[in-house]
Amino acid sequence: MILLDRVSVMYANKTVALSGVSLHINPKEFVTIVGSSGAGKSTLIRLLIKEEVPTSGKIIVGSIDYDTIDKANIPHLRRRIGVVFQDFKLLPNLTVYENVAFALEVSGVKSKEIKRAVPKILQLVGLSEKMHNYPSELSGGEKQRTAIARALVRNPKILIADEPTGNLDPKNSWDIIELLLKINRFGTTVLLTTHNKEIVDALKKRVITINRGRVVKDEKVGKYSL
Amino acid sequence: MTTFLRIWRTGFKNIFRNAWLSTAATAIMVITILIMTFFAFSTIFVRTQLAQVRGKIDLSIFLSDDATQKQIQDLQTKINGINNVSSVIFVSKGDALKKLENSSEEGKKLAKSAEDIGNPLPASFEVKLVNIDSIGQINSTIRSLEEAKIITDTSFDNRDDNRRGVVENVISISNSVSKIGLILSVLFLIIALLIIFNTIRMAIFTRREEVEIMKLVGATKWFVRGPFLVEGTLYGVFGALISLAIIIPFNRAVSPFLTSKLGAGPTLDYFASHFFLLAGGMFAIGIFIGVVSSWLALMRYLKI
Repeated sequence: MILLDRVSVMYANKTVALSGVSLHINPKEFVTIVGSSGAGKSTLIRLLIKEEVPTSGKIIVGSIDYDTIDKANIPHLRRRIGVVFQDFKLLPNLTVYENVAFALEVSGVKSKEIKRAVPKILQLVGLSEKMHNYPSELSGGEKQRTAIARALVRNPKILIADEPTGNLDPKNSWDIIELLLKINRFGTTVLLTTHNKEIVDALKKRVITINRGRVVKDEKVGKYSL
Repeated sequence: MTTFLRIWRTGFKNIFRNAWLSTAATAIMVITILIMTFFAFSTIFVRTQLAQVRGKIDLSIFLSDDATQKQIQDLQTKINGINNVSSVIFVSKGDALKKLENSSEEGKKLAKSAEDIGNPLPASFEVKLVNIDSIGQINSTIRSLEEAKIITDTSFDNRDDNRRGVVENVISISNSVSKIGLILSVLFLIIALLIIFNTIRMAIFTRREEVEIMKLVGATKWFVRGPFLVEGTLYGVFGALISLAIIIPFNRAVSPFLTSKLGAGPTLDYFASHFFLLAGGMFAIGIFIGVVSSWLALMRYLKI
């Protein structure tokens, strides 16, 4: 599903962000990536959504080889990978419903289809009641659930959650993790990065540890250790 | 289709998000379009005016009543042969009388009394010239012809320098007006391009978060760029609409003055009969400025 073969990213000032990273993630897996700040987690995610290109190495996601993908097809690639971030990245002047609908609008989905899909996904993340609220009226957890709904509404094969609980209290953090597990049970590959030891240890899922741009540990049922 | 409509709707909304900047952008668009229209008007005015003046000034050669048919014919052939003469028309004494009669009410009375005293109007040639500037030279060439003894007088010898001076003044003033118009047009075209460019640049900056999210959720290049181009286009459309809303009543107010004092009637008629061309031109200028400047801003500031 996701294949990285000896991927390295080096910047002009000779900083090495990733060095010889090889990974294989199967469909429907739930993988947690841990590492201290600057270890290379974010670079890895930017590579997967093709915001960045590796200096060397190969990336294949699904059947798409990142080396040969046409520039015009990058939007289509991004539609197949949902991403949520620590800072939610919601549009403040749109309601919850509109924020989620926005993801479908930009990919040319018909209005009728949007009206059908958005309430369904909002129900899945438990935001049906807040559909017409603006982000400023939501709690952190609700904002993150809106972001997840936006990422999920197009049925992506992969959901990447980049420190989704970074700005949330423990209760809300757990709600989000539960939601991610639920999504994973429905068949979506989930890639989670986090600093939260408690969560990682409780998950009992595969953990990949990155340090200074290298994969230092990759355990089937891992624990948080740096 | 759905996407197309969404792009337009987004572009429309963006204009109202930054009302002050949009107002400034539309205002400069209006000023530019008005100046360019004025330039077009003054250029066409000068052209029609020159054509009219040139048509009016031709050379009349008055002939003696004693001249024989043959003498007249010989002279006509000779004048026709002179360089720079485009045509020579013979006007007989009878034609001259008829012309006077048909000229006006006053002329009718005059013709009547002239007829009573045995038609003192001379026969003449009406000489049209290719280039009006050589009128003096041609006049003396004709005067020096062998056959010229039947000529009693010419309109050039009898000319009214004062009136000609006025005509020349009108031409030179209009010429400089249209030159200034051209310079102002180019100047404001550049200013408008810069201001719309800057407006779109600001729009790109204020919406960079939205653009980032758009890319993240897989919006195509055109879906991201489209609304900005629409925004630029709409400034052009609004600019043209407002310009028309200014020009139409303004034209109604000043056209009597322009017609009576400056003889701009034919020019105004020209514009009236080509109204859709004029309006289309205004929209074209506006949309051109809008699209070009927003495209430049996108290329410079929106990396996709």
